[in-house]
Amino acid sequence: MSDNLRTSASKFIDQTTRVSFKFDGKTYFGFKGDTLASALLANNVHLVGRSFKYHRPRGIMTSGSEEPNAIIQINKNSSVTEPNVRATEVEIYDGLEASSQNCWPSVNFDIGGINNILSPLLPAGFYYKTFMWPASFWEKYEYFIRKSAGLGQSPTEPDPDIYDHNYVHCDVLIIGGGISGIMAAKISAENNFKTLLLEEKPNLGGTTIYQKNDYFKINDQYSSEWLEKEIDQIKNLKNLEIKTRTSVAAYHGYNYLLARENLTDHLPIEKKQNTIRQRLLKIRAKKVITATGSIERPLIFDNNDRPGIMLSSAIKKYADFYGVACGKENVLFTNNDTAYETAISLNNKGVKVNAIVDIREENKSDLTNEINNAGIKIYNSYTVINTKGYKKINKITIMKLSKDGKTVTDSKVDIKCDCLGVSGGWTPAVHLFTQSGGKLKFDDNDNIFIPNKYPSDQLSIGSCNGNLELEDIISNINVSLKNFLKIDKTNFEKLKINSSKSISKRNIWLLPSNKTVSKTKAFVDFQNDATAKDIKLALREGFRSIEHVKRYTTTGMGTDQGKLGNMNALGIISDTSNVKMSDLGTTTFRPPYTPLTFGTIVGRNVGEFFDTFRKTPMHDWHVQYKAKFENVGQWKRAWYYPKGNESMHDAVQRESKAAREGAGILDASTLGKIDIQGSDASEFLNRVYTNAWSKLAVGKCRYGLMLNEDGMVYDDGVTTRLSENHYIMTTTTGGAANVLGKLEDYLQTEWPELDVYLTSVTDHYATASVCGPNSKKIISKIIPNLDLSDESFPHMSFKNAKIGNIKCRVMRISFTGEQSYEINIQANYGKSLWEKCMEAGNEFNITPYGTETMHLLRAEKGFIIVGQDTDATLTPIDLQMDWIVSKKKYDFIGKRSLYRSDTIRDDRKQLVGILTDDPNEVLEEGAQIVADTSKKPVEMLGHITSSYFSPNLNKSIALGVVKGGKNMMGQKLFVPMKDKIINVKIADPVFLDKENKRLNA
Amino acid sequence: MLKYTTSINDTKIFDNLKIFETSPIMKLIVRGKSREFISSVGKSLNILLPNEPNTSSSGANVTALWLSPDEWIIYANEINSDDSNSYIIESELINKISNTGLGAITDVTDQFVMLNLTGEKIYDLFMKGSPFNFNEFKKKKGAVTQTIINKIDVIIHNKNDAEVNLFVRRSFSNHLWSWLNDSARFI
Amino acid sequence: MFIINCPYCGEREQSEFKAGGEAHIVRPKQPTELSDDEWAEYLFMRKNIKGIQLERWVHIHGCRKWFNMVRDTSNDQIHAVYKMGEKPPIK
Repeated sequence: MSDNLRTSASKFIDQTTRVSFKFDGKTYFGFKGDTLASALLANNVHLVGRSFKYHRPRGIMTSGSEEPNAIIQINKNSSVTEPNVRATEVEIYDGLEASSQNCWPSVNFDIGGINNILSPLLPAGFYYKTFMWPASFWEKYEYFIRKSAGLGQSPTEPDPDIYDHNYVHCDVLIIGGGISGIMAAKISAENNFKTLLLEEKPNLGGTTIYQKNDYFKINDQYSSEWLEKEIDQIKNLKNLEIKTRTSVAAYHGYNYLLARENLTDHLPIEKKQNTIRQRLLKIRAKKVITATGSIERPLIFDNNDRPGIMLSSAIKKYADFYGVACGKENVLFTNNDTAYETAISLNNKGVKVNAIVDIREENKSDLTNEINNAGIKIYNSYTVINTKGYKKINKITIMKLSKDGKTVTDSKVDIKCDCLGVSGGWTPAVHLFTQSGGKLKFDDNDNIFIPNKYPSDQLSIGSCNGNLELEDIISNINVSLKNFLKIDKTNFEKLKINSSKSISKRNIWLLPSNKTVSKTKAFVDFQNDATAKDIKLALREGFRSIEHVKRYTTTGMGTDQGKLGNMNALGIISDTSNVKMSDLGTTTFRPPYTPLTFGTIVGRNVGEFFDTFRKTPMHDWHVQYKAKFENVGQWKRAWYYPKGNESMHDAVQRESKAAREGAGILDASTLGKIDIQGSDASEFLNRVYTNAWSKLAVGKCRYGLMLNEDGMVYDDGVTTRLSENHYIMTTTTGGAANVLGKLEDYLQTEWPELDVYLTSVTDHYATASVCGPNSKKIISKIIPNLDLSDESFPHMSFKNAKIGNIKCRVMRISFTGEQSYEINIQANYGKSLWEKCMEAGNEFNITPYGTETMHLLRAEKGFIIVGQDTDATLTPIDLQMDWIVSKKKYDFIGKRSLYRSDTIRDDRKQLVGILTDDPNEVLEEGAQIVADTSKKPVEMLGHITSSYFSPNLNKSIALGVVKGGKNMMGQKLFVPMKDKIINVKIADPVFLDKENKRLNA
Repeated sequence: MLKYTTSINDTKIFDNLKIFETSPIMKLIVRGKSREFISSVGKSLNILLPNEPNTSSSGANVTALWLSPDEWIIYANEINSDDSNSYIIESELINKISNTGLGAITDVTDQFVMLNLTGEKIYDLFMKGSPFNFNEFKKKKGAVTQTIINKIDVIIHNKNDAEVNLFVRRSFSNHLWSWLNDSARFI
Repeated sequence: MFIINCPYCGEREQSEFKAGGEAHIVRPKQPTELSDDEWAEYLFMRKNIKGIQLERWVHIHGCRKWFNMVRDTSNDQIHAVYKMGEKPPIK
């Protein structure tokens, strides 16, 4: 490479290990330790992208996570591609392929660049103003807007990488491994606090670690040397865990933080396989110390966005840390002393600094003397008014500032340069502090917002707390940590500090120019192309709230969340509208601080871990016999068992017929089962069910309906009296946990005087339900010594039994309308029991059936399913189940609501049977029911809740809810569908065996 | 006769971690509030029911874990035969507690699957899916907690240094097992 | 995500708990004696305060006990937890 800008060896970069990578198809070389940005700069590549709106050429501007411009796509057109990644954070590895975004056909020649010329036509709020009319055109506009929106391309294939989560609990969490974080970590860990230190960069030490300047010394050593020794020491501390490449994304209440630990992104491709790529840390810290540092501000002037215009501090880092000069002819433009540090660093490395343009009228500091000694020209009280160079800056024009800083005077001076470092001062990184609920205050001296009120046990230290000078940082840490950790002394009270102080200050948010603002392009938010002109326009158009100006101009709404631009935007708003910064406040900082991959957020909750599933003891049998499964709550339930190529319809018809003609068997293990014991158990059931329980004999079962206090049906099931004070209640599969919760709630809070204990035994029992005319014969084969005669064991009763040595409970209860026995056995014997039933039933054509057939069979019998035929708006009266509501009981849950003015209306939706005129027409569940289709809008009377073709009745049957349906027996109604209207009539909801002959047979 | 089929029936070994299902293990939920209840259970089992939250007590035959102020789970220290599900301890407690109205005894032997985990990495594994703070727990032999791992309810008993018994409802056990094995690859 | 100090089990993460609405709403002893309006007051009306609120919570993934909480809804600070049947420790 002819354009090698690598200046000197750096100990942070391994110059012995060359790394080859591609950018926009071209192969480059860098060194191990380089970021994509530093490697590109070393190859003199500044132009890396196009801006979002105007497609202006943009270069690398920063050296960290605040980067607004160098947003690139990694490994394009592969399943591991990632868009909108900051080149300043990507560590290069062999085989890395990166490409620029938002440009076509290439970053060098971009068709979209026409927008820059059209820019007078694209003011703030352009989209709002232009695409509003006519409203009907929106769909057409949207297509084009979407096409031009967004930066990178999202991946189209599944992500092959592995991500996971980890909970972390510590005493003290320290965010940021700069000098403040390191000092805090040492103090904390040495005082026996379990401490976790997180740093987003690969190395500890922040900006101090490469600070080799005579004017910043600690104990007479370069501050970098001093800090290096400290870092070596803390690495051995027992109580301290250090994680680098770990960026805190969110800081929630109660010191709950989310951080992303990046484990493999920097590794060569072969080392990325079969291991965790990124990990989300869910951190609970008793105390949090925020040491997130500060971000340098750009200055706002015309054409301040050209490639080659960078933050002054970034230029220093590229030089000192990466050993890369960003330009051969450098100029610095500043309002504070830090740019002087950059100039000294460059000068020491033999990199030319043409001039320093300083808006301050004068400045007196050690650093200034050093610059003067080096012979670098300082233009005091000057400002840059324009820059030149389309794809790379080549010249700046400066003019003298007036006394009040509002205008420029005298003549223009041109200065040649290929790199311009800007410094508008420093903004404390208070993002995480405010995310946690912290309140800021404005410091007029440094023009910064700093932490004021802490919402939790936390502390901000270092420059994120507004301590911008080395001496202040260290003295403040000593004082505040003693107080925060309640310790007597720190390790750093006797440090000798020598540091140059930036005393002179001058801040101008929007620098004046010889042109009016409306004729300039002074960028405030580089990523979203929001200019000072846009902000002023928004204010002129009446936007006042900072949140509104933000949305109208899109300032701070890019992937960088305005890390660079927000303060300048606020300043310009403040100046223009004459509102003090402290009154203006800031916009809300929202998580994540830097973007997270979806993979990190999701972790291992993918594939089989996407959702929790529950299996019954017979599950493996169902799988073996090719059952299709249905999700019911978290349960996997056998849905139907197709034979060969049977369709679902055919399987269900076959299963349904077999269950009524021979025998059927259902896995009912999923039903909720609650063991109820205590001397008040009967009284308790009286209060929670609508019917009466005291007189239920031991050994008998009863169906119960449970309401909410609002009178609406909540759950149902059969409860069996096992002994005087012992019941077992069954609930619906999906309602089990909620029912137990609700019953516990009443017991603990409303009726603590009742002697009742509830214990869930859902998983303890496997339940096989055998039904059909042959069920009795099958059960007698399995349990020969059990008296199954109708006299001894009638419908709705229970017996204890034993199969071999194994105790079980047999209930004669039915949800199908057939004679039916449920065997409840300890779960680990469930599969074997099922197989025994199959074996014993073989001669009777016993047919396993799933939930679909169960639904069909119970619909033939007119039994409801809570949650399918009901939806929390139906009372038992609405369900035509008046018989189950006790008139005698003084109270039960929901009783009072059954005669509220609303629940006694005649025209409530009521459950009815529905038959189609054409017996072969099967209605769709959810279809609307109407009486009159001529009057528009058509009045909806209700809808279909259950619908099947009944093989046993050889016709279609349905249940539905219809307004006033109870009194409409036989009435003709319509079910309008997309292509036809179906004629139906209201019928009795019990379609089969109303006399219960089958149950008692 | 009926065959006994557990839900896991497997042993997995990772670096510094071994997991397997222990079965059959008798498990009972005992519930009650009165002083008489506590002393009666204690006499029957020859242990003191722990009344301090998040603790356990162990006797010759059984271990009792505190679950709530009026609820304990009692599990057998040794496995029992799988050709019977009648337990002497259960009958004894039903006679002394349920039948006298002092409290409630419920057999939950198969309600819960008991997994035994041994090795230095137990808590690293748990921390991948549980919000519970194990920092103190792991130092306290006998400590008990009810919490969630990968959104599934569990009871964890710190049996010994680097050994825990974990109870999970049977229907969730396959999912948790699968998750534990998946996550153990990355500890 | 709060840390909630369960009165029985100690400090646990919020995900182990479930909220149960406003506290100290006593179910009427004789609902049948109430007018529609009185019953509706019990059934539907809730305060939803911005500021200090008394709430019911249950340690659903722990000891399954219900308890009460004093919480400032404006900043989510939990000032106290107390057992069912106890009086609120403030005001």
